[in-house]
Amino acid sequence: MRSVAVLGGAIFLFVLVGPFLAPHDPTAINIPERLSPPGEEFLLGTDALGRDILSRLLHGARWSLGLAFLVSLIGLIIGTVIGLVAALGGKLADWAVMRTTDTFLAFPEIVAAVVIAGLMGAGTWNLIFALSVTGWMRYARVARGIGLSLQSRGYVIQAKLAGLSPWYIARWHYLPSLLPSLTVVWTGMFARAILGISTLGFLGFGVQPPMPEWGTMLLDARIHMRSTPFQMIWPGLAVVTSVLAINLAGDALRDALADEGNHS
Amino acid sequence: MIATLLSLLLRAVVVLAGTAVLTFALLWNAPGDPAQAIAMARFDALLTEDVIDQVREEVGLNANFWGAFVDWVGPLLVLDFGNSAVTGRPVWPDLWVSITYTFPLALAGLAIGLVISLPLAILATQHPGRLLDRFAVAIASLGTAIPAFWLGLLLILLFAVQLDWLPAMGARTPAHAILPALTLGLGVAASLTRIIRSGILEARGQQFLPALSRRGVSPKAIGRDHVAPHAAVPVVTVVGLELAFLLEGLVVVEVIFGRPGLGTFLTSAILDRDFPHVQAVVVLTALVFVSVNLIVDVIYRQIDPRIGERDA
Repeated sequence: MRSVAVLGGAIFLFVLVGPFLAPHDPTAINIPERLSPPGEEFLLGTDALGRDILSRLLHGARWSLGLAFLVSLIGLIIGTVIGLVAALGGKLADWAVMRTTDTFLAFPEIVAAVVIAGLMGAGTWNLIFALSVTGWMRYARVARGIGLSLQSRGYVIQAKLAGLSPWYIARWHYLPSLLPSLTVVWTGMFARAILGISTLGFLGFGVQPPMPEWGTMLLDARIHMRSTPFQMIWPGLAVVTSVLAINLAGDALRDALADEGNHS
Repeated sequence: MIATLLSLLLRAVVVLAGTAVLTFALLWNAPGDPAQAIAMARFDALLTEDVIDQVREEVGLNANFWGAFVDWVGPLLVLDFGNSAVTGRPVWPDLWVSITYTFPLALAGLAIGLVISLPLAILATQHPGRLLDRFAVAIASLGTAIPAFWLGLLLILLFAVQLDWLPAMGARTPAHAILPALTLGLGVAASLTRIIRSGILEARGQQFLPALSRRGVSPKAIGRDHVAPHAAVPVVTVVGLELAFLLEGLVVVEVIFGRPGLGTFLTSAILDRDFPHVQAVVVLTALVFVSVNLIVDVIYRQIDPRIGERDA
């Protein structure tokens, strides 16, 4: 749990403080300085419109990491509610919910997100919608699976016999047992959301220019690949580092939980 | 067995029906006036309301939701994808051409992925925790964190721009397929290595293995008859996920390398708001995806009969 807390704190801090560390305005166009190589004034160089790449990267964290955080959180909430409805709502609800989940799983997530975001029109809200709609199914499956296994537990049966409402049982008897596993799923989905946002940005269906989202920056950088290849390195590196860090924290958390399970 | 098959089949049909409703709801609710977008893409000129209305009538955008849905889904049941809203030509021939570009690329990517990951995972698990194993894990973690589009750009930068060994854009010669296939293959290899490795390690940990070796069964026979089937369960499970990964990678890779194929077909259809083209790709994807997962479910039950019992 500690590794995830540290990582979460680091990302939060970076998203919060990063933009204030930026030496330049990330959207300020400065044609005379366009495509300058890394130097003293522009530590990582400038892009085709003379914008400082370092500043864009730092501000971009808000878009790439911040949006991914938001999207994965929305998915977590939707998915958990849906999964609990399946687990607690009886056979028919379970069947309906699980077939709905299967239906949403019948498309590769990013392809579905591309179609949804593309048809609804490029823009940040549509991007959030597209990635949330395609990102709740794993949470739902995990929540349902654990929920079903809890049904035969003594304290759940007693709570039901005591006449407590399903909402109360879901909140106080199910949710605490679900949280550790859901957190592991969440780290994976957070990483996937970062990849999704940058992929959609790169394809032109995500965050729109001049906003400095990392994928969108790579779309710009690609055009000038031959003359200034260095431009392409940094945004990609930022994506890889974030995803890698989150995945490693997720792995550590999963192992820690597995150990705990073995001891008890 | 037949009952299980039937229930799996029924489940697949329900899911496909659900995807049809979802797809249609999405097309139906897409903002903007599709008729106007289609008319603009088709005539590319100043438009009068008359022309737009004519297009609306022609493309069948006039009915209510369920009426339009029935009109829409009928032809799809016999895999008739209709005509392009932009060019007016039948969808299927153009779609088929895209498939002929995409399918070999997908196979090549999968092959590269297997050729790298299978030996790497097997060698790495010979001595878990040693250098090679750590190397394999590190590479695999890195590989799953790299977005396909960035990997593709880096490969272009290295092999096409700096070294000038391979062509980057288009699909004219087989050499044009090398970089795209490599981009796909490396991504597949990364995720497969992780999965096969943990599959083998888990199978190795089974308690009956020491018993077998004490009974004098040779290590080779244990590996082939006992470890491999156990390791196969998680690998088969992720075939569906791998397919998703492959399809996602294909969209990106085709766009980066300027290859005609399903991915380019889909993205340009979205930009042109060519709904018949979009829905054809979406329906086809869902069909392939659901069928593969159905087959995986069946195979899965063959390898590990306990799964069926657990479900019931």
